[in-house]
Order: sequence, then structure tokens, then C-alpha cells
Amino acid sequence: MVFADAQERQIWVFTLNTMKHPPRFADQLLKFFCAPHRYEEVQGDLHEEFAYQVRQIGERRARWRYVWDVLGFIKPRAGWPFAIKREQQEFTSTPLLSTAMLRNYFRTAWRNLLKNRFYSLINITGLTAGLAIGILILLWVQDELSFDRFHRQSSAIYRLENRVGTGSSQQIWTTTVAPIATFAKREVPEVKDAVRTANNGGYTLFKYKNKVFNEEHSYYTDPTLFSVFDFNLIKGNPAKPFLDNNSIILTETTAKRYFGDENPIGKVLAANDKASFTVSGVIHDFPKNSSIQGDMFLPISLLFKNMYGTGKAGVNMDNDFAEFSYDTYLLLQPGASIGKLATKLRNIHLRNKPDDTDLTYLLQALPDMHLHKADGTDGGIETVSMFSIIALLILVIACINYVNLSTARSLLRSKEVSMRKIVGAARAQLFLQFLVETALLFSLAAILAIGLMYVLLPTYNTLSGKKLVLDFSNYQIWLVIGLTITGTLLLSSIYPAVLLSSFEPLKALKGKVSACISEASFRKVLVVIQFAVSVILMAGTFIISNQLQYIRSKELGYDKAHVFAFFMRDMGKHYDAVKAELLAQPGVTGVTRANSNIVQIGRQTGDNDWDGKEQGETMMMRPLAIDKDFIPFFKMKLQQGTNFTGSVSDSLHFILNETAVKAARIKNPIGKRFRLWKHNGTIVGVVKDFHFASMRQKIEPSVFYYAPNDMNGIYIKTTGNDVDRAVAVAQRSWKQYNADYPFEYFFLDDLFNNLYKSEQQTGILFTLFASIAILISCLGLFGLASYTAQVRTREIGVRKVLGASVSGIIQLLAKDFVKLVMIAIVIAVPIAWYTMSQWLQGFAYRIEVQWWMFAMAGLLSLAIALLTVSFQSIKAALMNPVKSLRSE
Amino acid sequence: MKRTYLGEFEEIVLLTVAVLDGQAYGVALTHEIIEQTGRSVRLNQIHAALQRLEDKGMVKSEMGEPTAERGGRRKRLFSVTAYGRRTLQEIQEVRASLWHRMPNPLNPAMSL
Repeated sequence: MVFADAQERQIWVFTLNTMKHPPRFADQLLKFFCAPHRYEEVQGDLHEEFAYQVRQIGERRARWRYVWDVLGFIKPRAGWPFAIKREQQEFTSTPLLSTAMLRNYFRTAWRNLLKNRFYSLINITGLTAGLAIGILILLWVQDELSFDRFHRQSSAIYRLENRVGTGSSQQIWTTTVAPIATFAKREVPEVKDAVRTANNGGYTLFKYKNKVFNEEHSYYTDPTLFSVFDFNLIKGNPAKPFLDNNSIILTETTAKRYFGDENPIGKVLAANDKASFTVSGVIHDFPKNSSIQGDMFLPISLLFKNMYGTGKAGVNMDNDFAEFSYDTYLLLQPGASIGKLATKLRNIHLRNKPDDTDLTYLLQALPDMHLHKADGTDGGIETVSMFSIIALLILVIACINYVNLSTARSLLRSKEVSMRKIVGAARAQLFLQFLVETALLFSLAAILAIGLMYVLLPTYNTLSGKKLVLDFSNYQIWLVIGLTITGTLLLSSIYPAVLLSSFEPLKALKGKVSACISEASFRKVLVVIQFAVSVILMAGTFIISNQLQYIRSKELGYDKAHVFAFFMRDMGKHYDAVKAELLAQPGVTGVTRANSNIVQIGRQTGDNDWDGKEQGETMMMRPLAIDKDFIPFFKMKLQQGTNFTGSVSDSLHFILNETAVKAARIKNPIGKRFRLWKHNGTIVGVVKDFHFASMRQKIEPSVFYYAPNDMNGIYIKTTGNDVDRAVAVAQRSWKQYNADYPFEYFFLDDLFNNLYKSEQQTGILFTLFASIAILISCLGLFGLASYTAQVRTREIGVRKVLGASVSGIIQLLAKDFVKLVMIAIVIAVPIAWYTMSQWLQGFAYRIEVQWWMFAMAGLLSLAIALLTVSFQSIKAALMNPVKSLRSE
Repeated sequence: MKRTYLGEFEEIVLLTVAVLDGQAYGVALTHEIIEQTGRSVRLNQIHAALQRLEDKGMVKSEMGEPTAERGGRRKRLFSVTAYGRRTLQEIQEVRASLWHRMPNPLNPAMSL
């Protein structure tokens, strides 16, 4: 503004100071939205109006009014966006994206790539490895998260569970009684529909013409399975999937197995030579990301008919509240309250079976089943989040490499940038140029990464136990790949582009862009982050592998070496003969039997009693029927009392484990009364605790009982030399008694290893990812170190001429990097300590976190960093100073 | 009709610009219109209307002097162009002739 003279200006200043000022933020808003050529008068008018309103209605209300008036100017309306049209600019500026310039950007970018082959190679290698591994992990994560979410009604389906027992033996069962579903559907309005499934152990051998298969994944189910879930019939009548009790529904693959290309509907399968089933429907194979799996389905009404139809007076499918063996899923009305529903179900249960006072109902959402434990706490989700974090870290490390190398080397580009600026490049254009450059490098890396993923995928699938396919018609895969690449591209392109386009031409041309301090320290921060991540991952690897080692070597309380086992079926009736024959073989040192698997006892009961049991107390325990030679066979130790002798009276004798004695608070247990189911007997012995489940769980109460008719699992111990021979003999007698049934045996060692399969996989993957992260970090460090050496060539030359030793120069170059790695270690240790302690919490039996694990991780990363840096340093130090100095 | 269409509000703004005779700018116009017509008018509406009128060539504007109330900002003073004046006259004539041709002029007293 122009003032007439100094005096007038004085008045201005005076009035401005005393005047009430309208809200500043409103002014800002106006400035942003208003067309610049109209800004002055509009704001002037507004201020004048404000002054007028202050006089009229007071300052406070005038301020409100002012804001309201300003808003009037930015109110969009048809044809008049933001009240006042912007004036067209007088001079047309060059558009930011002209094809000619873009072509030029690509050309310069490409030339730069080729000119600095070494750095391009480092960048591309790092990025390719980072992207490939990062995307592979994220694909795994995505697959894990997609479980059970593909049903249209998945958010309304819940699995019914029971919490049972009191005190320390309290636990959750994921199977329920059968009638609760019927009652729920009939009486509870929130429940729209219900599905029950149960294992089919009755019919296992199915036959069509000459094709015979032993089916392991067949289930009884309600017909609602095919309507509540998205497992719809592709053949058959959706309104009535099962025509009668002898109908069967197969998956596509199963149908193909029996009938080839023939139409399966109406075909008859013979089962166990005692029944026949007519195929009434075919469903699609279950998606891999479904928790519910199966090959064939029989109507659950058949199970009920077989169970209750014949005898057992008074017990039927509507009042048997004792048989907890059904997976029950409820389809709820939208907005149903889970808590209230659970209470209602409990009331129904108690009405029918009043003594189940320790039982409560729980509902778990279908999509939570895969990644959460039954009680809703973290299960696999822990690994999923761990791996997503690792994926992000690896990507960040790869990005840091790029950022560090390109900013470090920005000095070399400063002259180019300055020239471009002088001939008229706008900052935005330079920014775009460097963006294009990064994008070019990234697309190369991305193409290579996708290729690398193809190569790695089979190995990765074996390691992770997944069946991932790079199916590019699946949009979700594109989503993961696209997001990852754009994310990393943005992360790594913006800072270098901003930095490079910010050079001031005059200074740069004079050669004064000494790497300014803030930028160099930013780079240091990034290196520290990289190495901190590496150290954390390395410490994690140590701790995980140590824990796994510990689990596998921990004293189990029984000797499982060289023992194989199988369920005898009809062979059980001839056990004594079989046993004698096996013992006659060389290499077989023992044979015994039990009714369950010692590595993982599946059964559980709370139907027990002892002197001193409190009212309402329930002790859940794992019962195992054993033969008299079972305890010596497995070299278990009796803490007190005696073993079973094989006499008839043993059927009323019990051997408890230490935990059971402790949980039941029985003092001097030998000879005390104990009831298991309807057998009222005495305790004759106490066996030392042994692990009959994964080390994630504490040892639970357990009881051995003697029931010669119910011990169909045979255990055969060998010396380890003649295993094949022993197996062959066992197979021969199997064939003799079981004819068509396939012989399936397992070694306890294998079964034991299976318990820890997911931990093993996590361990291996973790090690793999940690090494990749370290590798990429080192690549970056290598690049930085060589750049530093390159920049300081002349300095080194001069130093050598003046008498510096080779080791002195190496020290000089390596010192900075070592310092950074040390800082990284200091930062990493507490983080690693905390996270790994959390992970170990998941195990009931675990190692202590030791300081040497971190020390080792730190030392190792230091050594690797030193090795990387010194390679370049030594090269620089050994260079002939004459050459480096002459090159000037 | 060849004449540019003029909205009712635009007509009032244009007339008021003519009334204020060279002293017409946003705030003055707003206050004058509120006073004369009694309708509630907002500043942004006046500005929008003025800009439309200027685009149609009915008013022209120049920057005036700054005042203290305006925080030292200049005002944009509007005046009616010859074209605007003629448009106003045409409107007036059309209306007058219509009134004239009315068989029973609406006399306020008679229309009761």
C-alpha cells in the first residue's frame, strides 16, 4: 500500500494497534480460498463490516459474524466455486509434465544408472531382495488374515465353546453337547440357525466298484452346514442336501477319486462292508483358508440313530447333556448381544443338567477362530503381527539403503542441478526428475523382485507350510504388491528429491555444497536404525532357536526313543499273540498298550471324586488306560506306591501323576479313595510328572487306570537297528486281522516333532528374515563405505605420503561406522529384551533371557559391519598415493 | 430478446450501484440494500453479484482509497456503465408499457 506521507503512516500504525482485530484463522482461510486478484478488496470489505458490527453488536458476536461471513466466501456453489472466480494467469507457464521433459528425465536417469554401475547394482540388489522378501511375508500375512472371512455371513457366525472346571484345572472346550444347538434354535430368538459337526469314526473304509479308500476326513453334520456357510451344493438339492440317513455329500475332489468323470449323484458307496451310502450332493473343495475342512459328510441324524436308537433307555439326542463332542456354530441375528446369549445358553444347559455348575458358554467369532485361541487371547495373530513388523522393517531397511546412497552421492549431482536451475528449471520440475529416477530404479527392482518371488515361492512354501501361489488374476495379490511398491517408492523418493532439488545454484557451482551437517546426521540416524533392526532380529533368532532347543531336549519324564505305535483295530482281540510274535523278533525290546497317545493325551474328564473334594470343585484330568508294563516300558518313575500288577482288582486301582495329587490336595495318597467315572477305587501309586502335551502348556492332572478291554493302542520299542523288520512284522499281523484297512503307524519322535512344527517354522523363517535384513543393511553400509573411501581418496593419498600407516587409515575410515553400529546395539538391546520376553511368555516352560545372547548378537553385527567396511577401507588404504594424487 | 438476462437480485444491486453514484463498494452496497429492501443480504452475495455484473459489462470498477477501518486496504468502487444504464432503462420501459396496457390497473385501494 502506498502512503501519502510519514504522518499518515503514523496514524495508520496507531489505529491498527488500537483496533479490534477479527479472528486471524478466518483471515488465513480467506487468503487460501480467495482469488488473489480480489483478495484485497474482499478482505477490506470484511474488515470494514467487522468494525461496523463491533459497534453494532459488540466484539464477541462480531467475531462470530466475521467467521460466518468468511465462510460465505468459501461456500462452493454451482458455477461459482469459492464465491469468486480466479483470474486466468497472464503468462502460461510450462506444464509440469511435458512429454519432452519426461523423456529427458528418463534419459538422464538411465544414463545415471549406467554411469554408476556399482551403486546402481547395490541399490537394485538391496531393493530387489527387500521387495521380494517383504512381499512374500506380506502375502503370507494376508493369507493368514483371510481365514474364514470368505463366507457372506462370516461376521454373524460364532463357534460355541464351553469353559469348564474350577481353579487351576479350568479350561475351554471347543466342542459342546448336541442338544444345546436344538434348544438355542428353538428358544433363543437371537439364534437364526445352528450347525453341528462331529467326527465320523464309525465308517472309515469306503468302496465303489474296485476303488477303496480309507477316509480320514469324514464328518457327521447338520444339513445347515451347506446353507449357513458358503459351502453351497454344486450338485444336488440345496433345499434338502441329505435325502435320508443313508445319504452322503462329497467334495469335488473326493467325488472324482471314486467316480472319475461320471456323475456322482445317485451312486452308491459301500462303507465298512456294513452300510451303503447314496451320494446326494457335491460341494466345492474347501478353500485353503477355511478352518472347516473335510472330504465327505454324513447326516448327523444317522449318528444319533446309531448312538441312541438301540438301547440306553431314556437317553436321546435331545437330552444327552453329557457328550461333549460336537463342533457347534451359531448363526446370529444382527446386533445380538454375545454376553446375554451366553447366559441364556448356560441357563438352558443348567435346566437340563443342574449339576454342571462349573460350566459356562462362550462364543467365538468365526473369523477369530484361526488366529486366536479359544478363550479369545492371542494365538497365531502373534506370529502374524511379528511377521508383518519384520516385513515392514525389511522394506524400511531397503528404502534406507536407497535414501542413504542417493543423498550421500548428491554432491556429485549438484552441478547438474545447478545448471538446470540456471537455464530455468523450477524446483517442482527437479523434484519430478528425481522422482522419475527413483521410480525407474524401483520398477527395475520390482520386476526383478517378482521374478525372484517366482523362484523362491516353492522353497518359501515348504518353509512356511503354506500353499501360496502367485495367481495374478487374484486382485488381492496385486493389492499387496502394489501397496508395497508404492509405499516404499514414496518412502525412499521424497527425501532425496527434496534434498537434491534444493541446491542453490551459485553455491553449488562454486563447489560449496559441503554436505551440510543436518543431512549427514540424518544419514547416520538411518544407518543406526538399520543396524538396530538387524541386532534385534539377530537377538530374536538366538532366543527362538535356544528356546526350541530347550523344548526338544527337556526331560519329558518318559523315554520315547525308537518307539512306534498304531491303533490295532481288530488286531486288539489277539493282542497277546501279536505281542509274543513281536517280542520274538530281534531288535524289539518291548511291547505295551494303552488307550491313548502318550505324546498328546486327547481325552479329558471332570467326572471324579476323592475325600476332601470341595462342593462345586471340578478337577479336569487326562485319563489314560495303561497295561501293567506301560510304566517300565516308558521308563517312567513312580514317586511312591506300586504299579498295576495285572490282577482283576487293578480295575479299581489308580495311579495319579504328581500334579493331580497336588491339585486334589491329597496327603499320603497311597490307599486313599478315588473315583473315576463309575469306578470307585483306591490310589495305588503316584507317577512322576511327565509331559503329555506341548511345552506351551503346563503339565495337567492325569490319571492312569487299568482296563484291559479298552487299550487298543500298541507301542513297540526297538533298539533302533532293526526298525524296518519290526515294522514289517507288525504290518504282517495287521493284514492278518484287519484285511483291507491300510496300515498306518507313527514314531513317537515324529509325533513329538509335529507338536512343535509351527514353532520350528517360525524359527526357521525368523532366521531367514533376520539374515536377509542384515544382508541388506550390509549392502547399504558397503555402498556408503566405498563412497566415503572414494571421496577421501586424495586425503588418504596425502596422509600416506606424509607417513600414515595402512592400519591407521583403516581405523580412520572404519571408526565412524563402528560408532554408529555401537549406538545401534545400545538402542536395540532393550527393545529385543522386551519383545523376546513377551514371546517367551507363551511357553509354560521356557529359558531365561541371558545377557550373552544380546552380547553375541551385538558382537556379530559389529563384526559383520566391520568386515563390510574394512574391505573398502583396506582397498583405499593400500592404494598407491601417487596414482590418487596424480588423478587431480 | 437480445438483452443480457438480468436476475432480480442483480437488478437491485445494479440499481443500488446507480443510486450510490460512484461511492458503491461491497459494504456500502450491503448496508444500503438491507436498509432499502429489508431483506438479509450477505457480503459474499453482493460480491458474487457484482462480479457477475462486471462480467456482463454492466458495471465497471476501480480501486479507491484505503481507510483505517479496512486495515489500510483499498476498496473497489463500482459504477454503472452505459450498457448497464441502457439495460436498466429497457427494463423500466418494458415494465412501464406492461403496466400501461393493464385494463384494470391494480390500484392498492381497489384491489381490496
